[in-house]
Amino acid sequence: MKNIKISLLSLLLLGGVSCSDKLELLPEQSLAGSQAFSSAANAEATLRGVYSQTQLLDVFGSGPQIIYDFQADNTDFVGSFPTLQDINAYVTTSPNATLEAYWQVHYRVINAANSVIENVPTIVDPKLTPEISKRLVAEAKFIRAITHFNLLHMFAQPYALQSGNTPGIPLILTSFTGEITFPARATVAASYAQIQKDLAEALTDLPAVTTPASRGRATKGAAAGFLSRLHLYKGEYQLAADFANQVISVPASYSLATNYSFYGATPTSEHVFAIINSATDNGRTGSGGWASYHRPAANGGRGDCAMSDNLEASFKKEEVDKRYVDLSTSVTAANGQRKRMTTKFMDAANNTDLCPLLRTSELYLTRAEALAELNGINEESLKLVNGTRVRAGLPAWTITTFTSKVDFVNAILEERRKELSFEGHRKMDLQRRGLPLRSSGAQAALSVFGGQKTVLPLPQRELDLNKSLVQNAGY
Amino acid sequence: MKKILLLILGLIFLVGIADSTAQSKKITGKVTSTEDGSALPGVSVQVKSTTRGTQTDANGEYSIEVSPSETLSFSFIGLVPLEKIVGNQTVINITMTSSDKFLNEIVVVGYGQQSKKMSTQAISTISSKSIANRPVLSPQDLLQGQAAGVQMVTSSGLLGSNPVIRIRGAASITGGGQPLFVIDGIPLNDGTLSAGQGAPTGLNPLLNINPQDIESMSVLKDAAAVSIYGSRGANGVILINTKKGTTDRKTELNLDTYTGFSNATNMIPMMNTEQYNTYSADYRAARNLAAVTNPTGYFDWPTNVIQQGRTNNVSLSARGGNQNTTFFIGGTYATESGFTIGNDLSRLSGRLNLEHKATKYLTLGTNLSLSNVDMDRIGAENSTFAPLTSSFLMLPYVLPRDAQGNFVNTGFVQNVIGLEALNTNRYVAKRTTGNVYADFKIIKNLVFRTDFGMDYTSGDSKQRQVDLFTPGGSASRDFQYDSKWLSTNTLKYNTGFGKNTISALAGYSYETALFDRILVAGTGFASDGLPNVVSAATPTSTVEERSEWALESQFGRFNYGYDNRYLLEASVRRDGSSRFGADNRYALFYALSGGWVISEEGFMKNQKFINFLKLTASYGTAGNDRIGNFSSLDLYGGGVLSDYGGSPGLRPTQVPNRSLTWEETAQLDLGFNTTFYKNMFTLSVNYFDKITSGILLNVPFPYTTGFASASRNIGKMQNNGVEFDLNVNIINKGDFSWSFGINSAYLRNKVLELPEASIDPDGNRFVAGSGAQRAVVGRTLNDFFLVQGLGVNPATGNYEWASKDGTPTTTYSANNRVFVGSAIPKWTGGFNTNVSYKGIDFSAQFSYTYGNKVLIDGLRFTENMNPAAGFNKSTTVLDYWKQAGDVAFAPALASTTAPLFNQLSTLQLQNGSFLRLRNASLGYTLPATLVEKTKAFRSIRVYTLGQNLWLLKDKNFRGPDPEVSANGPNNQILGESFFALPQARTYTFGLNLGF
Repeated sequence: MKNIKISLLSLLLLGGVSCSDKLELLPEQSLAGSQAFSSAANAEATLRGVYSQTQLLDVFGSGPQIIYDFQADNTDFVGSFPTLQDINAYVTTSPNATLEAYWQVHYRVINAANSVIENVPTIVDPKLTPEISKRLVAEAKFIRAITHFNLLHMFAQPYALQSGNTPGIPLILTSFTGEITFPARATVAASYAQIQKDLAEALTDLPAVTTPASRGRATKGAAAGFLSRLHLYKGEYQLAADFANQVISVPASYSLATNYSFYGATPTSEHVFAIINSATDNGRTGSGGWASYHRPAANGGRGDCAMSDNLEASFKKEEVDKRYVDLSTSVTAANGQRKRMTTKFMDAANNTDLCPLLRTSELYLTRAEALAELNGINEESLKLVNGTRVRAGLPAWTITTFTSKVDFVNAILEERRKELSFEGHRKMDLQRRGLPLRSSGAQAALSVFGGQKTVLPLPQRELDLNKSLVQNAGY
Repeated sequence: MKKILLLILGLIFLVGIADSTAQSKKITGKVTSTEDGSALPGVSVQVKSTTRGTQTDANGEYSIEVSPSETLSFSFIGLVPLEKIVGNQTVINITMTSSDKFLNEIVVVGYGQQSKKMSTQAISTISSKSIANRPVLSPQDLLQGQAAGVQMVTSSGLLGSNPVIRIRGAASITGGGQPLFVIDGIPLNDGTLSAGQGAPTGLNPLLNINPQDIESMSVLKDAAAVSIYGSRGANGVILINTKKGTTDRKTELNLDTYTGFSNATNMIPMMNTEQYNTYSADYRAARNLAAVTNPTGYFDWPTNVIQQGRTNNVSLSARGGNQNTTFFIGGTYATESGFTIGNDLSRLSGRLNLEHKATKYLTLGTNLSLSNVDMDRIGAENSTFAPLTSSFLMLPYVLPRDAQGNFVNTGFVQNVIGLEALNTNRYVAKRTTGNVYADFKIIKNLVFRTDFGMDYTSGDSKQRQVDLFTPGGSASRDFQYDSKWLSTNTLKYNTGFGKNTISALAGYSYETALFDRILVAGTGFASDGLPNVVSAATPTSTVEERSEWALESQFGRFNYGYDNRYLLEASVRRDGSSRFGADNRYALFYALSGGWVISEEGFMKNQKFINFLKLTASYGTAGNDRIGNFSSLDLYGGGVLSDYGGSPGLRPTQVPNRSLTWEETAQLDLGFNTTFYKNMFTLSVNYFDKITSGILLNVPFPYTTGFASASRNIGKMQNNGVEFDLNVNIINKGDFSWSFGINSAYLRNKVLELPEASIDPDGNRFVAGSGAQRAVVGRTLNDFFLVQGLGVNPATGNYEWASKDGTPTTTYSANNRVFVGSAIPKWTGGFNTNVSYKGIDFSAQFSYTYGNKVLIDGLRFTENMNPAAGFNKSTTVLDYWKQAGDVAFAPALASTTAPLFNQLSTLQLQNGSFLRLRNASLGYTLPATLVEKTKAFRSIRVYTLGQNLWLLKDKNFRGPDPEVSANGPNNQILGESFFALPQARTYTFGLNLGF
């Protein structure tokens, strides 16, 4: 009897613990794809996810931008990252892990943007009006455009070389749903055309700038500003001047600040478009952000990017320049040497500094340069360029300061260099003009216009995986 | 100490609750081993001169109907047969002695025990004798060089580092290489609950398992042994058996204590300031670079970050019992400080193993352990917060303190001396592992066991950086736990008729585990005196994560034996896992094995040379379920990587994969076991051939897809090899004994298929593990693929690399990468010898690895010729080319190859073969007659032990240690290190007291 009882109990235990429904478990940290594009609120969130990834070091979090300054002659990379040292010394190789990461994250942003562009119009939700839907798509197209643009600057020759008839980048215009494709590189010209198309389409549906926070999102001004830069890089000066004017002709929204206090974490009228970073944002992860490179160890950075002797000499020609005196300090750089380093980005602890992707000053200087190219020495250009000069504590130029168009244009370029230094413009500003990236030093010969090593190598991993890709010459 | 004494008092109280056995007409009893009191299952119990008989069950118990005039005969291979006249007894408990000790091993197998000699499974057993008193921190450390086919590599000399264990080669690529650890029937949580802090893997997840509690370990190797663990068996299974109570013996109290010290075995010679400044000036001059004036102060960082480590251990235990209740109670307190500054650990652990026979039908028991590990951590490997790494990279003229004696912030290459003095980096790990079980004897020979087990393990990291090193200060707290519970229910049946023996097992188990993590971090502190995140001005991280999985299983095993000559075993397991894609949720695994004990055949009876001879064969399958909890779903993630402008966002994080499922390994094993020449030699040889298919591959995607990769069950890989295990009992006469053992395994690993993987320019499919190694079809899982460095051309002073066709070139190009050897050793193993004479005992244990390469990645930094690199250089760089004819290590300073010299190539790749004297001990046991006179002690032994006393390595080896593998259980990267801490050389002095 006792045995039977025990047997029954055993069977109960054996059978009773069965819980196969417990094998149906779902993650708690993520949403399935079908849920991500199910409502207006989620659609907005997926778009914010696109912006969020551009905050990363690898995209607009300073990584490519510091390279543009030290590949050229604005800074010297004195830090200890071998991958960046290699770029600085013009001895980069294709397995360079930093470049691989930059490439990867750019396409991650583009895929996320494509996902928004494709899926948002399919969402059925009364709260998602056609107007909102169009805006979301336009914002995603804007990000797709400027991300492709940034890739071009790193991995392709400038448009000025053979009018863009050189290898550009793979253009990715559809989102990834599981089917792997192996895109080839479009030419630089074709890449410019697609970027221009995305920006133009975005311009139609984007809103105007309103609050400071809206300067951290794509707006009509941002799209026009990038179109101005794109045409400037192509040498299309009339279009560059016109698009610049679309922005700066609205002084209520876009005007020059009276001093340099706009560097920091909050966008102002000085900012046409800036990526906004909070203390909890992506800049904190990985290798940090702008200030990590540009501030010394004493301020919590690494002191990697020191002002070059070349730029220092340029500033010293007018050494009262506030952009030198007030916006840089002499500190101990990563290599233990005393060097001047910029103070444009101060928050090495939390990396909350804005990424100043498009400033009003740039468009002043773009229009000034474009008009000078079109009309020679002219009053409007002088007025525009004097805006940034006077703010820097320098005397205004007059119609008599220059004797030739060439001198005038060169002076505007020099002014542009100083105004936009450490913000990642120098490489393209030299290359679009057919100039060498460095005019002196061991790498001068390698850095000439069209030089093979002025272009960074496509990541080896990508070449291994995608046989349609052709490596840049010289690697 | 006080607590442990209290525990022992408690145990004495428990012993008092002995119960009297129930009366019965039939004879019952238990058969135990004379040697250690353990139960002997499978012993044949025959009524003499009849065909009636039975055999003992898993607990060594039997019952049989007999009349008082009859005689019972007990027999088992390897044991001295015994006969008992029944008379008026109702309980006959006997102890049996081995006819010779080599034939009497019991092995713990999955869900049971078997006689080693009658088992058809390939299992290596590590006995308490070979692991006693070893000053190690984790159970894995005990496996080194001890079992044929088990490769154990310490990832570094860091306290608590997470080792590599591969049993018969890696059975997975991306799925991790860790075997399943099962302690007293509970499969352990083995997720890492700590960050690597620069190392590619966190701390050893089994750090809380006290090696002093371990009685023995069984390494299950072939399919016959592992298939009963189904979807978790493919990497092999290690069963840890903790010390249990004993029957019919006076309670034994043991105090084991040791103390010792440790030192680093190897360091990299770095330049001093004079050397560095001279070198830098020469370099700049040679290359026409502007001169730079460096400071002239000097601080020898490497020798200042190492110290003499200390280790202390006190274990107190009691074991004993009577017919009805047996127990083991133990407690250990251990402290260790590493040979690197800032690396300390203390562990307090306790264990209670108790079994009580409540009635004739019911036995209850528990195995329970609690432990707490408190660590002071340091950065490791590729981190400038790692003392050793930083000491190598730091420019020699950088001083840790200013003129006033205050610490200074040295920037990116951290002032590690200041960090260790001022910052906090603490880790507390807690673990509660245990089970309670009940055995019901339903009918004769049929036992039902229900077992409820749990394993709770937590890791609690706390970091605080002071204002000096992190302006404003920062703090973080990271608490993670993994909590598992499982219910296991089994039915076991044993019977015998005539010459036939049968045993069967059927079981059901359900297991589920929840991982949970809470992390907070913040920056901006008013004062360094505020240690906690709550005082931070800016909160920077708030993370809460949870993830759950569940496994439901049915399993069974059937054994049939005929006349102790012919053996047959079949096992099966069906696993349903929440991890598998909805289309592939249930997996079935099986194994079949057979054995022929030739020495039991009639024709062998007349010869004396061979004492025992058995052939075995097995074939079967097992799986690997380490595929991630939710890998089959397409996912969008939120969090700080998705938010923008203060509002939450979503970003795509994973591509969908609904058919994702387990990896499956099919294995053939052929075994040969023999004992011969007066039982002096014991030899086993096993051949195995494992084919793993459905290997989960992270198929790399072009980044233009927006994703790096996705998992697919597509790879196929083979491991085959031979294992030898020889033990020789050279002398065993009276006071003198001398034995020698050697184990050795040859492994051939071959990747068979990697469809959809990348194709290299030569048309090979590969999966990259790191920048330096990859799994390649037709080659091994861990083949190094590097540019070949040829050395400095004595005529030109240029460093030369090999072009793809082998011709020298002065251009470094990744296009010239070729396969230059594997990180997988061809041979691994160890040997040991034990000598004892009267009270003196000596033992030595060696382990070796042969035929593998090791990459020391950090050399790219210390051998960077360019002074602009901003860190110190090793003195090997001073051997640069100066004039034609020089045979130099490094190129001429002016050479175009000088700045590229340090690029990743075979320059950093080295011969990883080594032979190491892992362990040597010398002990003295006081004569029993002398000890008895003390009245207080039962036994006294004093000993001294040294670990890693001697190392034989390639004479050109540059780096801390050839025995490194910083990635721990990651199967894709083996034998790579940035700057691993070398193994510690440890000397301990110990005392074993028995009361």
